[in-house]
Amino acid sequence: MDWTIIQNLLVTGILRGGLFALMAVGLALVFGVMNICHFAHGEYYVLGAYAAYFAYVTYGLNPLLAIIVAALLGFLAGAITERLLFFPLRKRSKGEWVMNAFLLTAGLSVVLQSVYRLVFGNRYYGITQYWDATIHIFGMTVAADRVMAFVIALLAIAGMWFFLQRTRTGRAIRAVSQDERGAMLVGIDLDRIQTLTFALGSMLAGLGGASLLSLSPAYPMAGNKPLIASWFVVTIAGLGNVQGAIIGGFIVGVFESVSYFYLGQGWQEVASLGLLILILLFKPTGLFGTEIKSVWEK
Amino acid sequence: MESSPPSPPLPRRSLPHLLNWLNSVGLSLPLLVCLAVLALAPLFITNQYTLRLLVASLYFGSLAMAFDFTGGFINAVNFGFAGFVGLGAYAAALAANHTGLGIWFGLLLAALATGLVGFLTGILTLPLRGIYVSLMSWFVGMTLMALASAMLKVTRGARGLIVPPLYESASNTAYLYFLLMMALLVYIILRLIIRSRVGLAFRAIGLNFDAAQASGVDPTRYKLLNFTLSCACAGFFGGFYAHFVGIVTPDLMDTGHTLEVMALAYIGGAGSLLGGVFAAFLLIPIFDSLKKLMEYRLIIYGMLLILVMIYYPAGLSGVYQKCIQFIKMRGKKNENC
Repeated sequence: MDWTIIQNLLVTGILRGGLFALMAVGLALVFGVMNICHFAHGEYYVLGAYAAYFAYVTYGLNPLLAIIVAALLGFLAGAITERLLFFPLRKRSKGEWVMNAFLLTAGLSVVLQSVYRLVFGNRYYGITQYWDATIHIFGMTVAADRVMAFVIALLAIAGMWFFLQRTRTGRAIRAVSQDERGAMLVGIDLDRIQTLTFALGSMLAGLGGASLLSLSPAYPMAGNKPLIASWFVVTIAGLGNVQGAIIGGFIVGVFESVSYFYLGQGWQEVASLGLLILILLFKPTGLFGTEIKSVWEK
Repeated sequence: MESSPPSPPLPRRSLPHLLNWLNSVGLSLPLLVCLAVLALAPLFITNQYTLRLLVASLYFGSLAMAFDFTGGFINAVNFGFAGFVGLGAYAAALAANHTGLGIWFGLLLAALATGLVGFLTGILTLPLRGIYVSLMSWFVGMTLMALASAMLKVTRGARGLIVPPLYESASNTAYLYFLLMMALLVYIILRLIIRSRVGLAFRAIGLNFDAAQASGVDPTRYKLLNFTLSCACAGFFGGFYAHFVGIVTPDLMDTGHTLEVMALAYIGGAGSLLGGVFAAFLLIPIFDSLKKLMEYRLIIYGMLLILVMIYYPAGLSGVYQKCIQFIKMRGKKNENC
């Protein structure tokens, strides 16, 4: 075994893992607070990618600005979705919430994918790079875009952490995730918190899609891979465990790059899925999962 | 989840004994009429395209029926359903290409192979509840798809396996009767199970797992039985698909197909078996006849699924039950007058 190969795999894995963590945090947040198994998460990723493309290429915005615009759009789309779909479902649902919400997101995913196809066609909207530079890490040359995407992901996660830990609204979100009824009793507006949570989750997904635009172009089905990857992370971490999702993201990133290197495209997928099945079988609450109801704290 | 109440016994003197017996195996009078219409359809329809459409509707409806057997009764959504259908198609294709033992052997093999994998999946999902079951079956389905793409020597990967057609002629009539026979067979079996004590146990598990367990229903056995049967049916119809279309590719196992079947099953009404079939006969020809709608097909599916989920979880079968109730009420009123 060559040392440089290991280094190589680790660096790619960790860079990739940052984005997985970003997506997975959004997914875990939505599950932890709202009990929604979000199957349309990837579609917000694609939305972010499209938005960044048009902001960057068509309107010629600064890359960072374009990514921020995409994230804001993701936020907005998430808020609208929650108001239009999950809000009425919650008002009408009688005890079957988790399953019904899951099926609803499945329908939503189909709808959004088809809408993307209708509006943008099957064309690939991609750019070669945001920043024309390379960076050296451990004697390895990495495109600046990859590193920037990683940095953006980390910053977003840190910002999220600060928001949830230090602000009043963030604390309210955590309170709802721990005990809905108790949160309502102390005067937290549940509807507002749920909308905000879903919007934040979608924002993280949009951010991921936007910052990865130069590596994976936007097309209608582009959300499937990141969706599966983030589900992978969330299953490993335990559903709804946001803290675990960060570590899980890096684990999955490294695992994917290593198995890809040794097994090749086709069998790599089989290996990851096999691993997932094993984890679900022996530790359904995930590697770090204790109680499902937890955001940022066990 | 709304379950259909057992239909009241027919009055002996007004209807022949035969109808009564048919009813007991699930072939009620309205259904018999529908069957007769479908069976006679090829006599009046000469357009091959329309016939093919009927076969496609029946195929998707049958899949929705098999899906509903788990989704609507034990309330476990098999999210890897398309993977099992694809597995059946591959099994039938391989049997046809390598053994030459005839179509029934291939279909039987497809059902057995899928049933076995369904049984194993059932074992995997045993310790899990609710949404975790869906996740696990989703992962299994995706694994099947990944395997089908990766095992190039057996499946030829994305290039697909070519399957010989069932009949020499290009006519779709034979396919329609063949599939109708398969669907009827599966329907009667599933229906008999649903109406037996086993079906009662399924419903109990679906409605309240803990309460069912507390009152002596062994969830392990029933969950396994249900999963195995539903998957075997999926594989059975998958085998037909292989012969009908003539080529099997890993795309068949895509989650999108699961969503399509799931949408049909839920639009038809969970826990009704036939709801999905009617939904298929209602929706698929409509989508097809309005060519422009084809692009919007998945959007409409998704929207309908969302709307049904939010506003009318009983689905089409709920509408049907309401109509029946309404007619009965009117009948009673008239009798009273």
